[in-house]
Amino acid sequence: MISFSNEIVRNILFWVQEKRWLLIIALMGFVLYQLPYPDGISNAGYRTLILSIIVISLIITEPVPLPAVALLIAVLEVAFHIAPAAEVAKTYMNDSVFFIMGSLMMAVAIVHQGLDTRLALGIIRLTGNKVKNIVFGFTCISALLSSFIGEHTVVAMMLPVGLSLVRNCGKQKPIQNLTALILFSIAYGSTVGSIGTPSGGARNAIMLEYWRTITESGITLTYFQWIIMAYPMVIIGMLSAAFLLQLAFKPEFTRMDTAIRRLKIQVAHKGKITGNEFLTILIFIIVFLCWIFLNERYGLGIIAIGGAFLYMATGLVEWKQVSRNTNWGVILLFASVISLGVQMKNTGTALWIGNSLMSQFSPLIDQFTVIPYILNIFLTTLMSNLMSSSGTVAVLGPITLSMGGEPAYMGMTTAISSAFGYFSVIAAPACMIIYSSGLVKMTDFLKAGWRMAIMSTITLLLVYKFYWPLVIGFTNFK
Amino acid sequence: MKFLIALKNTKTESKNILEIGCKIAEGFSADLTICFVGKKSKALIEGDVNLARQSLAEWNIYHPGLEVLDWAFNILKEKGFAPDTEFDVQNLVEDKGRIRMVLPKTTDYQIRLVLREGELLSELNKEVKHGEFDIAILGAPKRKRMIHKIAQFLDTSIFFVKNFKPSWEYKILLCVDDSRATKRAVILSTRISKQFNAEVIALTVSKTSFFGKGYRNAHSWAERYLKRVGIPFNSKLLNGNPVDAFVQEAGEDHIIIMGKNKGNELIKFAFGSKPIHTAQKANCPVLMVN
Repeated sequence: MISFSNEIVRNILFWVQEKRWLLIIALMGFVLYQLPYPDGISNAGYRTLILSIIVISLIITEPVPLPAVALLIAVLEVAFHIAPAAEVAKTYMNDSVFFIMGSLMMAVAIVHQGLDTRLALGIIRLTGNKVKNIVFGFTCISALLSSFIGEHTVVAMMLPVGLSLVRNCGKQKPIQNLTALILFSIAYGSTVGSIGTPSGGARNAIMLEYWRTITESGITLTYFQWIIMAYPMVIIGMLSAAFLLQLAFKPEFTRMDTAIRRLKIQVAHKGKITGNEFLTILIFIIVFLCWIFLNERYGLGIIAIGGAFLYMATGLVEWKQVSRNTNWGVILLFASVISLGVQMKNTGTALWIGNSLMSQFSPLIDQFTVIPYILNIFLTTLMSNLMSSSGTVAVLGPITLSMGGEPAYMGMTTAISSAFGYFSVIAAPACMIIYSSGLVKMTDFLKAGWRMAIMSTITLLLVYKFYWPLVIGFTNFK
Repeated sequence: MKFLIALKNTKTESKNILEIGCKIAEGFSADLTICFVGKKSKALIEGDVNLARQSLAEWNIYHPGLEVLDWAFNILKEKGFAPDTEFDVQNLVEDKGRIRMVLPKTTDYQIRLVLREGELLSELNKEVKHGEFDIAILGAPKRKRMIHKIAQFLDTSIFFVKNFKPSWEYKILLCVDDSRATKRAVILSTRISKQFNAEVIALTVSKTSFFGKGYRNAHSWAERYLKRVGIPFNSKLLNGNPVDAFVQEAGEDHIIIMGKNKGNELIKFAFGSKPIHTAQKANCPVLMVN
């Protein structure tokens, strides 16, 4: 009898320690709910604030599956009387959610065509055998590609090339630095590039939605206008990354003759470009052109969904593959967090948080207008290292847009600095994979990350101060 | 019997865990399950990571955990535990939240290779519940709190492989007290002692100079049992703090075997227990018998 009850106690204790974060968050939510709401915020606004805190905590600690968090948002938005059920349902679906869905589905189609081997051949031809050139090539190609086809697609295509190259080096001599150099050039290259266009990552699409729905004037930005605003960051970022990584990791060899020869043998069997591969590229070019020329008419999301349709209609990818490899839970979560963002604006929560944050720095802001941007970069970088880049824009976007700076610039700053998750393995998929391969250590992220973070922050501030005011008229941003 | 061996990587520490695991399993003719628990990606990027992993698999670059299992499989093959077949990823099946390799039973031992992703304790607990293992063999985590949690929540006997040197000749330090698991610890120690060809030291420690009836009975039962099965042994009765005495007596060249405490789980959760503190402080392998 005693051992039986002991077993129950043990099971309960185990459940408690497994779900400790859920219990802590629930308790925290309950306590906050009971407290009187602060001055300057409405009752509904305060409840939205509590919900936001709960959601951020749940996303960071993950005691429940992400789709469950998405469902909780809907339930609590209604239960907390933040918005009526019909309005909540409406805010769950918008063009950005379509865009994220379409991009993820297209990524599955592109990755399954085996274009990575062609990419490998192309890179080798361009860079030759010198390590310096290979690192430069990997960084720049990852950056340029990821800005258009998305970070996750590039990671899936480039990492096999990088890892194969590392493995082909043989084991005669430890090549820890060379390994880190090659792998980080892909990881950081694709991260740096992902800010270049709206299709670079889900976070960019989320920011477009926030501009449209949250800002007073309802800012809209076309695909091409985004490129004009963000691409200088990509160019400077990728060149600096290639240089800084070589400072952080001094390679053991200067040439990789054997590894490149082996890689060539590995991919030589591919022969000429196949019809399917050609069609895959052609469909993406059509989608890309539509994003540039037709996005005001149809919206980025509908075009992305159209692209996914074309890939399935032409038989390049089967629905089963798409369905199995698309993370529907994440799409649902983004939809729900955007809905929460809209409620943060409607209830005045975002404005209240923004004002409260900025009031701490008000004497400084009068003298230095750059302060909100620095705070924005700091907050976004910190969060992206804790909960991934896209999640950061989704939860921080409404707040940074209300922090007092120019909303257009503040939004762009948030979207760009969400890619500064250089320090942790959880910010980007590439970082997670290279870390889990066991070939790079946690300290390597710090070793390369601090250089990248300083470079990126300075570049972003310079771009904000000198470049954006120059192009703002041309982009017709407002 | 069924043993679970949890591996971390392909480094020396994991090799030692495998080494000691095989040696003990040999003595029990036990089936072996080798389990690798990898770090799980954040849910927000999990889909992207999986897509990249599929792409990597087409280049014959597999999950790092599979490489650990491949390495372990080859070691088991060398030792004659695993069948003389190739480690083929085509034989992987997804089953109950984990990936398992289907292997034929062509040797005396049934070998299973399992890959899991997530938190170590949570995944090992699921595996233990699923496989109903008699002993789980794993490296001692660096964090003392983790040793505590594993010792308390893993519902099986646990062998923490700590500071193990395969070339050393180990002795068995059998910690005897009045707990219910002591008898099982004594029985298990005789078989392990035979396997390692090691002398057993039966040690009972009392906090005071007086040894209660329970302690005395347990100690004499252990002596009788060891004598009966013909294991060379030494017997010791000491006074002092039991944990400190066990750790000091064991040094680095003993394998500590002791019963798992069946006391109040709440108290154990808050303050630990003798076996938990011993596992935390010892500088040698520790087997906690359930």
